[in-house]
Amino acid sequence: MKQPDSLRRRLVIGGAGALATVTLDGLAHAAATVDMPMANGRRNLVAYPEKRPLIVVTSRPPQLETPWAVFNEGLITPNDAFFVRYHNAGLPGSIDGDRHTIAIGGNAAAKPFSITVAELRTQFRPVELIAVNQCSGNSRGLFSPRVTGGQLANGAMGNARWLGVPLKDVLARAEPRNTARQVTFDGLDNGVFGGGDFVKALDVGHAMDGEVMIGYQMNGADLPFLNGFPVRLIVPGYYGTYWVKHLSEIQVIDREFDGFWMKPAYRVPDNDCACVPPGTAPASTRPIGRFNVRSFITSVSDGAQLRAGQAITVRGIAFDGGQGIREVAWSSDGGQSWREAKLGDELGRYAFREFTFGFTPAPGTHDLRVRAFNRAGQSQPMEALWNPAGYMRNVVESVKVTAA
Amino acid sequence: MTHRLLCIAALAAVIATPTWAVTKTLELPPDGTQLKPSPLPGYEKAQANCVACHSAEYMLYQPATAARAYWEAMVKRMQQVFKAPITDADMPAIVDYLVKTYGNEQPKP
Repeated sequence: MKQPDSLRRRLVIGGAGALATVTLDGLAHAAATVDMPMANGRRNLVAYPEKRPLIVVTSRPPQLETPWAVFNEGLITPNDAFFVRYHNAGLPGSIDGDRHTIAIGGNAAAKPFSITVAELRTQFRPVELIAVNQCSGNSRGLFSPRVTGGQLANGAMGNARWLGVPLKDVLARAEPRNTARQVTFDGLDNGVFGGGDFVKALDVGHAMDGEVMIGYQMNGADLPFLNGFPVRLIVPGYYGTYWVKHLSEIQVIDREFDGFWMKPAYRVPDNDCACVPPGTAPASTRPIGRFNVRSFITSVSDGAQLRAGQAITVRGIAFDGGQGIREVAWSSDGGQSWREAKLGDELGRYAFREFTFGFTPAPGTHDLRVRAFNRAGQSQPMEALWNPAGYMRNVVESVKVTAA
Repeated sequence: MTHRLLCIAALAAVIATPTWAVTKTLELPPDGTQLKPSPLPGYEKAQANCVACHSAEYMLYQPATAARAYWEAMVKRMQQVFKAPITDADMPAIVDYLVKTYGNEQPKP
């Protein structure tokens, strides 16, 4: 039976002008696509296991972006909407959440040992932290000039309540030697032909800082499979590349780890802005590290039509790499003049921070912008910075609205 | 009634095992895109090599500005880092197909 045209609906789901076209296509089969705000930006919306329909950046291995509307629904990103990013398609078909084992060793660990997740949950004191996880390449598709790689808009981020045990306590049991320099992390995801295993490293001081944790719950539930079930590394304030999923092996080593995913992958220009003039290559690089400051309006979409003279409350989110947000300024004239937005409660230094401001549009067009400052005084650039890998975008976003 | 039976079954499972064992399984949906067919000789070679490890969005969604050097570097990376069994002899044809189908050597519309 052919569906009448009235069943073909268009839904606005994008914060930056993304339009979703949901076509009801016969018997309980919905084929949905979304147009992301970039050239060649049409994407499928597909429900993966334990997930609602998300934006498919790649089918296999899965890379799924969160639809922008989710960020206006609350400060905590629901598990079934949380973004997914794998590097290799060699994933296990099933994982036992109790018997899964983490092996801890390395040439700078005096007492190597293995521990099951069931033991991990009972033998160490749990800690809880609300923290943002954000893909290094979040917003890469918005770079100009364009860069290659996963073509993401702004939805490769999420804020969750993580429950786990401090990595420091687990590492202490392995008795790191004073020759220890770095700690490496490997998970069950493997390259299909055995190469390119996704292994990441942190300096030993960072790994032992008491904040990095082995997480086993997310928003009060077991981790979704695609977010690292049953255990993943939680590295507060650091890009998602370090948040190794299905964590299975930890090595304390006496050297700097130089595997592919630390070098040459996931590196940024080694300067203050982590940027270079567009189209050029950096002279030297360093591993990507902490988030820079970002802020987004979530309640009003680019291109929105507002009623002139009617007061609205504009809402959004801000976050940084762990200093905490001190102030969010807003502008309705493209950044010519600024006023202070009202900050919501702080859920933690690593969490999304809500802001709101009242806005009564005069007839005409308005260029809404928000700019956050953290407690170290760091902020966001008015013009986008550029680097060849498309990492760390944090430009002051523009949301253009029309009031009549 | 069915609901009550499920509850009893769940309770029995808790009693029967000392810990509440949760096993999660993964079955992924099929790829949402396929490689674009082409008369270029690299098309079949790309079918045989590239999509064994990853789906076609990796090519399809790249910006159309992506130049030959990018596609060459990617195919080399797949062979050398990821150990994809791509022969040296097949590489030029694969690169040619990729840049002419997805990159900056696409025919002008």
